[in-house]
Amino acid sequence: MYAAAGRLVFALVLALACGGPALAQQLPKPLSDPPTGRETFLAVAIAAMMLCGLANFALFGRVSERTHVALAMLGALAGGFSLLVLFGGALYENPIAAVIGVLLLVGMFKFMSKFEAGRKPDRRP
Amino acid sequence: MLQPPGHHRRSPYFVSGWLDFAVIGGLSIVVFLLLRLISNGGTRPEVVQAVAVTSIFVNYPHFSATVYRLYQNLDNVRQFPVTAIGVPLLMIAGVAASLWQPEWVAPYFVTLFLIWSPYHYSGQTIGITMLYARRSGFVVGPRQRIALSTFVYSTFILSFVSSRNDQPIIRYGVSIPVIHFPAWFGAILIATMCVGATVFLWFVFIWCRSQRSVPPLIILLPAVAQFVWFMPGRQTAMFYEFVPLFHSLQYLYIAWAMQIGLRLGQPAHGKAAGSVWQETFRWGVRNYIGGMLLFIALPWLLCWIDVPLLTSAGIIIAAVNIHHFFVDGVIWKLRDARETSPLMMSSVDWTPQRAPGMA
Repeated sequence: MYAAAGRLVFALVLALACGGPALAQQLPKPLSDPPTGRETFLAVAIAAMMLCGLANFALFGRVSERTHVALAMLGALAGGFSLLVLFGGALYENPIAAVIGVLLLVGMFKFMSKFEAGRKPDRRP
Repeated sequence: MLQPPGHHRRSPYFVSGWLDFAVIGGLSIVVFLLLRLISNGGTRPEVVQAVAVTSIFVNYPHFSATVYRLYQNLDNVRQFPVTAIGVPLLMIAGVAASLWQPEWVAPYFVTLFLIWSPYHYSGQTIGITMLYARRSGFVVGPRQRIALSTFVYSTFILSFVSSRNDQPIIRYGVSIPVIHFPAWFGAILIATMCVGATVFLWFVFIWCRSQRSVPPLIILLPAVAQFVWFMPGRQTAMFYEFVPLFHSLQYLYIAWAMQIGLRLGQPAHGKAAGSVWQETFRWGVRNYIGGMLLFIALPWLLCWIDVPLLTSAGIIIAAVNIHHFFVDGVIWKLRDARETSPLMMSSVDWTPQRAPGMA
């Protein structure tokens, strides 16, 4: 109980610390403007990652550790693809970015190859 | 009565040396050599047509075989729920985003699939090498595996780096710009590939010396085929069109052996010899129909969307492929109560054996 409250306080402090400077930034356009296509895509990607996190939370104790890990990796894949869409243009414009981007993609594929089958079910520390 | 596996000397081949060699990579190397002779640098419409027709019988069923293996019963779905349910949902989201923004989401969705595909082929190359090594009693430890992986994955990344195209390529109706890499990156990859190959061959040499025998050459064949596909093969456009076909052929062969082993190869199954053909026919028809549903029917379901059919089909194909990469990672690890792994069986385990002395 105390541990959970401690984590909540820590998260709030972090949110305030990060949110303060962000609010101080001058907004590029009024908040009432409709979101652009990119912003909507980003919002959907964030929602997908949130859903993975929430599913992990909701299924706690009901599914195996392996399923929890796979859900976390699914969230990572959604985030990785969103980053590719948002910054992928650099792959085609900058050769160094191309090297880094392709190596990161290969790393992600390697990571995903350990997807639900990479761990033995219910492995305990 | 069926003879339990292990009562005879285990063959490294599933059916026979000739057939295994042809399917696992020999045929692809022969086709490459033939096409290299007649190639003029580009491709020909008849080659594209041949690829399209053979895809219906090899490529499409290979995807269907994976899907069927995972979804054929609820127990499999329960073993890997995120792969069976979560990944398809994420793919639906990816397809929806790509159809909603076909100009700046779809190219990345298709790019992801185009880069992931050869990575997946490389994984299969290593998997098949390990399989034949195990069947032959050739020990591939962690160091040997690192050397092999270094070689195999270098060939796949090099295939991108050494691409000579300058113009954006149109794949599945989606325009994809060419990625330019610095020259030093290609040089580093070539050096890495050579080091990986040399170290792996050195391990093979040490094994030969200690065992005083030569391992079956089929252990090296998947890696040699991979090299041909992605190095000289990439420079021969006419051949490169066939690479997914040869990858699918390898896959179908192993999946077929697995299916037959699961159905007929266990001592508890007292099946007749004709059952191999019957089971092959049933499995083949099922995968053919599944492939048509995945690659023909599914894209047609989206024809009402205001996106060119070729583009929407390309997006669906990308989603089916990415789903396949995930499913392929788990289906070989599905738990089975049977004692003998079907992948360690041969054709002699699938058919009834006559008792000694019988006429």
